[in-house]
Amino acid sequence: MMENLREIIEALIFISVEPLTTAKMKEVLTDVPEPDIEQAVRELVTRYESSNGAIRIIQTAGGYVFSTRPVYDPYVRRLLQIERKKKLSVQALETLSAVAYHQPVTQAEISAIRGVDSTYSLHTLLENKLIKIVGRKEAPGRPLVYRTTEKFLTYFGLNSIEDLPSEEELKKLMEEENT
Amino acid sequence: MITTEFEPTPAQDGYQVKLQIFEGPLDLLLFLIKKKKINIHNIPIAVITREYLEYLSHKERINLDREAEFLLMAALLIYIKSQMLLPREQPIEPDVDPRKELVDRIVDYQKIKAACSVLREKEDEMSQIWKRTALTAPFPEEDLDLIEVSLFDLAESFFTLMKRKQSESQRIIKGKEISMAEKTNEIVVVLKERGFLDFLEYLDAQETLEEALIAFFCLLELIKARLVVAIQEQLFHTIKVWLRKDA
Repeated sequence: MMENLREIIEALIFISVEPLTTAKMKEVLTDVPEPDIEQAVRELVTRYESSNGAIRIIQTAGGYVFSTRPVYDPYVRRLLQIERKKKLSVQALETLSAVAYHQPVTQAEISAIRGVDSTYSLHTLLENKLIKIVGRKEAPGRPLVYRTTEKFLTYFGLNSIEDLPSEEELKKLMEEENT
Repeated sequence: MITTEFEPTPAQDGYQVKLQIFEGPLDLLLFLIKKKKINIHNIPIAVITREYLEYLSHKERINLDREAEFLLMAALLIYIKSQMLLPREQPIEPDVDPRKELVDRIVDYQKIKAACSVLREKEDEMSQIWKRTALTAPFPEEDLDLIEVSLFDLAESFFTLMKRKQSESQRIIKGKEISMAEKTNEIVVVLKERGFLDFLEYLDAQETLEEALIAFFCLLELIKARLVVAIQEQLFHTIKVWLRKDA
């Protein structure tokens, strides 16, 4: 393995504002075998994880990106003059979960699942780029079809859509709540 | 559906108490099912319908635009009850149970609610960690993930600033008169020199409140005339104003 492979990858992740995928790393490191890259990334992540520094590398939306640890949140916000990050409204979050679990999905389907007209919430989510239109459904009226975006993944710190809690996990949650 | 509340209790101090906020009829049904500790797969329709209607009757009037869904559900409940009252020769089989469709919907909805709580936790976690995207990005490319802001975003930013300014000690200096034309020119010059300006920083840097107000109106005019564009590089970040390339 290249001696400073880890450091090279560290540099690549450092200058990437968006999560850097291993595919992108491979484009740069054409002569390095893939398993070597993957191992180097793992080592790098562990190194940051085990140090007591303020920075770590998180895996999100299929890539790697530097981030601060939660304890430093108040100071970063002071620097950036952000009082607090806005949160999604209950309606928006409910609509978003419905899209995430039923995608690709139409407005009418989402509204039926929630029992509430969801046109407005979908519009807000579209504006925030948490969902996108991927086409039209071959059904009467040819309604628009929605899917979640990559920004949805990064927003919630998910690596891929498979990271969402599974049916079983949800069932467990529901049972806990019911008892 | 945001608020569906019981009639305000006429408390002595005139408080208005919002008892529950339900997202929709399914949310309300789920709440009643939990409250009554009902087995979701064997819902006593009579009980739940009574509870449901009781809840609706607390509302003085029904806003048909926003609350038609609640009425639709009431009708469905009563319909299901009538179906169950029909005399049958054999006991109801599970797949022809008139309640089945509704139960499926409630279970589905419950799953979404559970997913919501997971996502909310993740959102909380993520809100405390920062990535380098939080830093100011260079001149935005056309296809970057930009959000062109609405008038309301601008106004909200402006009012936050004004509030902050209010608390600062005020010196009243007889202000120089400044016209919108002058200010507009000034803004355009700054934009041409620097390429962009930070909406809040710029207004904050104005000498007087009056000048800040004028600058705000000038910016609105410029946006309206489509000479400049106000952009948030990322959701919830500061708003920047750029000269339009084609302007």
